[in-house]
Amino acid sequence: MTDFRLTPQHTDGDLALAHIAGELNLATAPLLRAQALALIEQGHRHLILDLSAVTFCDSTGFSALIGIYRCAKTTDGTLVLAAVPARLERLLDLTGLSALLPAHPTAAHALVAHTPSPDTATA
Amino acid sequence: MPQARHATSPAGKPGRQTLSAVEEAARMNAVRRYDILDTPPDGAFDRVAAMAARLFKVPVASVTIVDEERIWFKAAHGLEGVSEISREPGLCGSAILADETLVIPDTLTDPVAVDNGLVTGPMGVRFYAAAPITTRDGHRLGTVNILDTKPRLITEDDTDTLADLAAIVLDELEMRLAALNALRIEQERRIEQEEARERAERDIAAIQAFASTLQRTLLPPALPVIPGLELACHYATASPQDVGGDFYDVFPLDDTRWAFFLGDVCGKGPEAAAVTSLTRYTLRAAALIDPDPDKVLTSLNTALLLDPAVGTRFCTAVFGTLEPHERDGFTVTVATGGHPPAYHLRGQGTVEAVRPQGGMLIGALAEARFAAHTLHLAPGEGLLLYTDGLTEARTLGGEMIGEEGLTRFLSARTGPVGAADVIGDTVDLIDATPHGAGDDVALLALSVPLARDTDGLTATATATAHTIAHASETLESRP
Repeated sequence: MTDFRLTPQHTDGDLALAHIAGELNLATAPLLRAQALALIEQGHRHLILDLSAVTFCDSTGFSALIGIYRCAKTTDGTLVLAAVPARLERLLDLTGLSALLPAHPTAAHALVAHTPSPDTATA
Repeated sequence: MPQARHATSPAGKPGRQTLSAVEEAARMNAVRRYDILDTPPDGAFDRVAAMAARLFKVPVASVTIVDEERIWFKAAHGLEGVSEISREPGLCGSAILADETLVIPDTLTDPVAVDNGLVTGPMGVRFYAAAPITTRDGHRLGTVNILDTKPRLITEDDTDTLADLAAIVLDELEMRLAALNALRIEQERRIEQEEARERAERDIAAIQAFASTLQRTLLPPALPVIPGLELACHYATASPQDVGGDFYDVFPLDDTRWAFFLGDVCGKGPEAAAVTSLTRYTLRAAALIDPDPDKVLTSLNTALLLDPAVGTRFCTAVFGTLEPHERDGFTVTVATGGHPPAYHLRGQGTVEAVRPQGGMLIGALAEARFAAHTLHLAPGEGLLLYTDGLTEARTLGGEMIGEEGLTRFLSARTGPVGAADVIGDTVDLIDATPHGAGDDVALLALSVPLARDTDGLTATATATAHTIAHASETLESRP
């Protein structure tokens, strides 16, 4: 019923990539929020969430993403999304949040775009 | 050895002694406790009386309870039609004065019994023996007794047997009392449960009345009548218990200008409804201070972020102002905060989505930005605002109507636009889906009637409220 898993896949200094699988709903949104916030508290203030295995996301999942974004922002961090499901993407566009939450087609794209390199400033 | 024995009398005068008033009151309390007086015949007691008669070979045996003024027969063997006699001394009346079994071998030689009615009357009792029925706390309720019409002697074993029968009667009374008490407790419990259930039902009714009263405050009581504008709306919650998260309102800013809004609070239930209420009043108050739609939504964003009770709830909304256009119709300025676009219905099937750039979700982020867009609502044109319950209703194929479907639907309308017709047809569109709207739906339409019918002199004033509390109930009023 609460089919949800957050798996940290890549951590590099203040960057973390987490793979999310399952549904983002009333039951799982608090888990997403708590586990993502824990990553931020561990110092990974730049968070990439790979949503490629997210099967469903309702307004509570959406709300959790906003909470994570707000938390990342308080630590001067960022929240980046990868492989956003179509419906969530539409919701992000509609609510104007796509301007704040950069989205990439895949986790690899996101990593390339957001890994700090010697010639680019920290994201 | 046959032996006659009299109860020893502390007063020294057999039969003369009585219980003190205090003792008698305590004894009567005990009698009442067993709740036995005037109860119908009972097999267990009848058997004891019959057994006594058979064991002692006497014509009459009875089980009596001594009441204040009478001796009542719980069971009587050989005494047809007698249920009670007066409480006079000599026989049972004396037997309950002592713990021992009272034996009167010949009543005619007993100074007290000789005057008893049973002795002097037609029964002519000559022999009497009675064992008191004594409770564990020492009260003598009555007797198990045997009577004969001729004098006789009984053995000590016989008196013990009679005492045993009296003890059996007491056991029977105790069991009966325990059963009665259990029954009483059960009954009380049932009454308490029933009362609790009634209380709960009253509470539920009160809460429901309270909820529906609150819900009414979340809806505009009626659309205002605006000269030169036709207004129509529709509101439906997904279930009758749900206080909705959708809201809308139309209200005056001053003598000539008006404001309108429609929106959707994220989530459902009372918490969403509380935010709905806060949102509506904030929008109204902010608009009266500065009606610039961009600033109104910014004020709402700040208010929602500042209110700790709002928590992580946010909303989407369209807010607009209306002022009479210098030529005809109205100038409409609309700002959107994360809400699906309003539709500008230009007539003759022309439909334009009103998408002010950069309108963000309200109440989620301090940095949210809003932008306004101004349009001219000309005669024959209309504006439709809706919540996503409309676009997310699923058609027969299982697909959501979506913005594309809604645009197609609105484009298929020809001729001048009328607000009431647009709302009526859109509600029909929802009703035609197999499950209706799965979510709350709010619709608001504004339209400017063509001036040709009124020779450009008289303003048309129409407001239609097409409000549906839930699917089964339709209220419609056309001023």
